[in-house]
Amino acid sequence: MNKLKVGVVYGSRSTEHDISVVTAIASIIKPLELSGKYEVVPIYIDKQGFWYSDPKLKDIALFSSGEIDNWLKHNRPVQLGIGDGLSLIKPGIAKKPLKIDVVFPATHGTHGEDGELMGLLEMANVAYVGCNMPSSALAMDKALAKIVAQESGIASTKYVWFYARDFSDNAAKVLNSLAHLRYPLFVKPVHLGSSIAITRVKSEAELKNAIEVAAHYDNKVIVEEEVQNLIEATVPIMGNDKLMPALVEQPVTHGDDFFDFETKYMAGGKKGKGGKTNGSQGYSRLPADLPKDLMVKAEQTALGVYKALGCSGIARIDLLVDTKANQVYFNEVNPLPGSLYAHNWRAAGKSNVELVDELVKLALDKYAQQQKLSTVFATNYLKQY
Amino acid sequence: MKLVVDGLLTNYLIRGRGRVVILLHGWGDDGRTFAALITELNKDYQTVVLDLPGFGSSQAPNEVWDLDAYVNFLAHFLTKLNLNTYAIIGHSNGGALAIRGLATGKLKADKLVLLAAAGIRNRHGLKKFGTKVIAKTGKAATFWLPGEYRQKLRKRLYGTIGSDLLVVPHLEETFKKTVRQDVQKDALALKLPTLLIFADRDPAIPLADGELYHALIKTSNLKVLKGNDHFVHHDQPATVINLIKEFL
Repeated sequence: MNKLKVGVVYGSRSTEHDISVVTAIASIIKPLELSGKYEVVPIYIDKQGFWYSDPKLKDIALFSSGEIDNWLKHNRPVQLGIGDGLSLIKPGIAKKPLKIDVVFPATHGTHGEDGELMGLLEMANVAYVGCNMPSSALAMDKALAKIVAQESGIASTKYVWFYARDFSDNAAKVLNSLAHLRYPLFVKPVHLGSSIAITRVKSEAELKNAIEVAAHYDNKVIVEEEVQNLIEATVPIMGNDKLMPALVEQPVTHGDDFFDFETKYMAGGKKGKGGKTNGSQGYSRLPADLPKDLMVKAEQTALGVYKALGCSGIARIDLLVDTKANQVYFNEVNPLPGSLYAHNWRAAGKSNVELVDELVKLALDKYAQQQKLSTVFATNYLKQY
Repeated sequence: MKLVVDGLLTNYLIRGRGRVVILLHGWGDDGRTFAALITELNKDYQTVVLDLPGFGSSQAPNEVWDLDAYVNFLAHFLTKLNLNTYAIIGHSNGGALAIRGLATGKLKADKLVLLAAAGIRNRHGLKKFGTKVIAKTGKAATFWLPGEYRQKLRKRLYGTIGSDLLVVPHLEETFKKTVRQDVQKDALALKLPTLLIFADRDPAIPLADGELYHALIKTSNLKVLKGNDHFVHHDQPATVINLIKEFL
């Protein structure tokens, strides 16, 4: 019996390109192969946006050694067939297109996690893992995600968003619009993940510099008030209709810095007492050090956000908890958590193999549901012409 | 921490409180080179370390830069952060940068520390001539090779003559322009207390350069360490830190 072909898509034109490669190879391709159920097809998008597929691209050493640049020079990209499902057309004469049964997106950040890839997959009418195009696009826009969550009664800390161009055109006007916010503030590019270009500021002089940094990366900037008595919490959730949260996890910040890119992915954070995990996600406390009522509130808030944004498959909801005011604020959604947050799922009793296997099943379920929707509406509209 | 200076995203770190000490790394290096140094200096000073454009996590300039362009950038960086510099510590090319900046008045400081500072370009006329010849013949002899082989061979040729030319390949032209700038006249113009720390067997910057700087900067003090490592602050961190702390 032919195995289901799962195409794992990773890389792409994103500041999180390298993290995507690690997520794809270590946390998705390996466990999919270990399950023995699937034929795994690596689909790598390079930093220029060209798509490649070759078994060699499953080898992390190709990337970690830097040999990938040389490999790309000697290999040609594939073309995509999107007529009836997704097919990879390899270069060469009379090569038979390779039809992909399920796509497993592993792209972080822009041109992938932000809904663009999902739009292409919707057009191709192929099953795929994770959030659909609208929910991915919402999740990747920190301002829109807060607006949608607020409509469902989910609180966020006070914030203001604006276009980078507004600031370059009239900085004074933008700064004036931020005057009611209470310092310290966080300045963030609206669409980027992994804490890239996020700055904590304590004065207006710092604020201007921080906005310039955020605007260097993104065309939209959000400025938020810091939550007092803060404990950060994050909740990975899986499911389409029936939702299953993993454990409420507490990222552990680093001194007067905060959870920046290097802490998250490179340095591993500052060592502390037991009860913490260390891996590609840095240091965190699992489960979070929260009283029971706040733990429940955090989980309920996360589930509410997941539903409000129409997430499916998997997503991770980040929360900010004011432990004195007993208030849980929604911070942001990560529609493709780095390394799928496999360490949390493992702690919640789900192995990497079970995790990816269930995500593929959820993708097939969602696809089957969508196929039931009618896309035809009979009219005599054209005949009138 | 990040800052946009002259349109370039710049990675930097500020730690500690007190008078401001800025540390400038050398060619092909980045701010992390000073990790041990700043851990100690933080106790008494506010230390500022940055990755210069094109190095570490800072964005590379779009045009070819010379030493003066780096000086201008640095001046803008300090203005943007509203920092009044008490002392500058420069290693290797970072030292040349400090000398040029202070001599032109674009950088200001009360004290200067030069660790195996570069910037004396004419003393090795013969070696530079050799570099130019090998660079040119290297290109001539390798132009017909496929890109990757040509690059490997050029690396070997430049490596043989001890050049930093290909340490940062994307800044090759900037490197050529920067190392053409001799700062001996600039050093002569310096009037501030200066501590020179050089290794007696440094293969990259000879002790003779330290002695020449000592002669040029009348207000300088030369400390010679026994060793053959260009990175004196890595090779003998405790000694270097103590010397700097005493001096500052």
